[in-house]
Amino acid sequence: MRKIIFTITGFILIFSIVLTGCGVQQEQAKEDLTLNLLEADWESILEEAKGQKVNFHMWGGDDRYNRYIDEWVAPKLKEETGVTLNRVAIADTKDVINKLQNEQSVNKTDGTVDIIWINGENFKLAKDIGLLWGSFASQLPNVNQYVDINAPDIQFDFGENTEGMEVPWGKAQFVFIYDQTKITQPPKSMKELGDWIKQNPGKFTYPAPPDFTGSAFVRQALYETTGGYEQYLNSEKEEELDFNPLWDYLNKIESNLWRGGETYPESLAKLDQLYSNGEVWMTMAYDPGKASSQIEKGVFPETTRTFVLEGGTLSNTHYLSIPFNSKHQAGAMVAINYLLSPEAQLTKMNPAHWGEGMSLDPSKLSNKDREQLNLLDLGEATLPADELAKFKVPEIPANYVKRIEEGWFEYVAKR
Amino acid sequence: MWQKGNPYLYVLPAVLFMIIFFFGGIIQGVLQSLGVSILHDTQFTFKAYQKLAQSMDFWQSLILTFKVSFISTLLSAMLGMMFAFILFIISLKSYTNKSYSYFYRIFQYPLVIPHLAAGYLFLLLLMQSGWISRISYHLGWIEEIHQFPVLVNDSFGWGIILTYTWKEAPFITLMVYPVLLRIHRSWYEVARLYGSNTSNFIKDIAVPLVLPAWLSSIFIVFAFTFSAFEIPYLLGVTYPRLLPVYSFDLFMDGGWEERSQSLALNIILAVITAVLGMLSYKMSKRWLPSERRGWE
Repeated sequence: MRKIIFTITGFILIFSIVLTGCGVQQEQAKEDLTLNLLEADWESILEEAKGQKVNFHMWGGDDRYNRYIDEWVAPKLKEETGVTLNRVAIADTKDVINKLQNEQSVNKTDGTVDIIWINGENFKLAKDIGLLWGSFASQLPNVNQYVDINAPDIQFDFGENTEGMEVPWGKAQFVFIYDQTKITQPPKSMKELGDWIKQNPGKFTYPAPPDFTGSAFVRQALYETTGGYEQYLNSEKEEELDFNPLWDYLNKIESNLWRGGETYPESLAKLDQLYSNGEVWMTMAYDPGKASSQIEKGVFPETTRTFVLEGGTLSNTHYLSIPFNSKHQAGAMVAINYLLSPEAQLTKMNPAHWGEGMSLDPSKLSNKDREQLNLLDLGEATLPADELAKFKVPEIPANYVKRIEEGWFEYVAKR
Repeated sequence: MWQKGNPYLYVLPAVLFMIIFFFGGIIQGVLQSLGVSILHDTQFTFKAYQKLAQSMDFWQSLILTFKVSFISTLLSAMLGMMFAFILFIISLKSYTNKSYSYFYRIFQYPLVIPHLAAGYLFLLLLMQSGWISRISYHLGWIEEIHQFPVLVNDSFGWGIILTYTWKEAPFITLMVYPVLLRIHRSWYEVARLYGSNTSNFIKDIAVPLVLPAWLSSIFIVFAFTFSAFEIPYLLGVTYPRLLPVYSFDLFMDGGWEERSQSLALNIILAVITAVLGMLSYKMSKRWLPSERRGWE
């Protein structure tokens, strides 16, 4: 028996020595690399990137986004720059954050994540605990040429200064989706929505936070029940703000929600399923173009339309970033730069592909691109850009999000 | 040295694998649940366990998880055993292998479907706007889909129980049935000669023989239903959550403190399962003499 224990411990010792040895060497090699990438000229970055395979970790919950990346972006990027883009589908960006946290805790320097799609609280957390690579935005030609980097809705991500550690990829806005054969006059405010729910018991619900869209719905309600968003932009006062009107509102509508509010759909996908089955009459999306493309795919009924509340509709920018232990930073920079080209952004805006707002400043585009932008047909169910812009309100600072989600569970779900 | 065939050397790779990945993982989990980590200032503390013990949510989830696992396991055990004996009786009565191997195949199908897919399948079947509900509506059994009973995402957990039973009963059948097959046909004839009928034969000879396999498979099913995540996530309710979902939510909250709690919860799950495993092992040793050996 003693012999076995000796053998085993011997093995483990040898193993661990070999492993740590490798780690140290790699770390040194890595440091030499990073230094020059954040200062190098674009030509040498392009040279370095050639032939690299870049792992792009993004939320895989929508087929349109996946196909846009796989079928449109990846082949073109490969052809133009020699970078291979490999999409890795994830269920939640938090999974990647967790993975990176684990890799950070064991000093793993050769990570498998090269690009993450990120914003809001995930960005704040990643930035605070040092999971991001560095300030690379000013290195990208397309950022310098087409992005208004100082616009407040681009420089601040849920109130957090991006400091060039992430690059804006697109803009989204919160809309409600309904079936116009069942609802002729959609509500215009949270109060009217409450009345509508009362008259149509069982026909409305929202996904349970921490689902991204469900959480956004609760934030919408917060703005409107507590008198506007302005008070929240200054997160210094966080402790003294009273959320009770929000909980009161949500508890008041609860008994008339789907299934009497006994349970909530755990994901937006389930709410969409309930909507396409006709079990509920409304769904929602943080994506103005979603309804049109779901009609096109035959998932939602032809008579589906969208509406926004006149008291304001949340809007946010979402970003791309590079983790601290990415192995192919040059390739990641080249891929991100391509995703921000007018060509890629205009294609993404087309409802046949994705149908969401671009992160570029239209006034900086060439005349030809601007013409294309004006010709885009956004689809039957998508609201015109000026109507969306009219009711746009900014996102809440990230540190509120968790408090709202926990509060929702405590004061709404448990009651 | 190799020719001598030191058996310890041959099992070394497997043992090493187990030690590094299984025990390593468990030790890592225990350490994190006690707030010890390479990454943060380490403080050895039982705070995570204290917090859990003080939270009503935890106790409610624990009771609910127990209830759901217990009922699922009980139903699976009963049905699984029943199916195995039905197959066995068919094979006793028939002199060709054809007819019952066909039945046997039916029980193998649920095993190849992953739990996640099974959960989603039951959701689509049993939702109020699901397939069964719509068919009933078209046949005029219900006047509108909301009259269809709530079977998934219900507070009792029927949806979870049904799905687990459908998945695990065939598993138990497949654990028990091969043991039955090893009973020689001649035994049955001898028993008949001494005047026993089929039911006597099953009660006095077959059941004692399959008990060990049955009990261990029941334990496996209980341990699984007690700690699996996907089906409760799809078919459970927002509150109260089953423990695995509760643990997942805590872990995903991102904060360090919640992570410790999440791992503490997992350690509690593992300890409860281990204790039950010990108990069932002890019980089976006491009750079942070694009569199941030496009869091939």
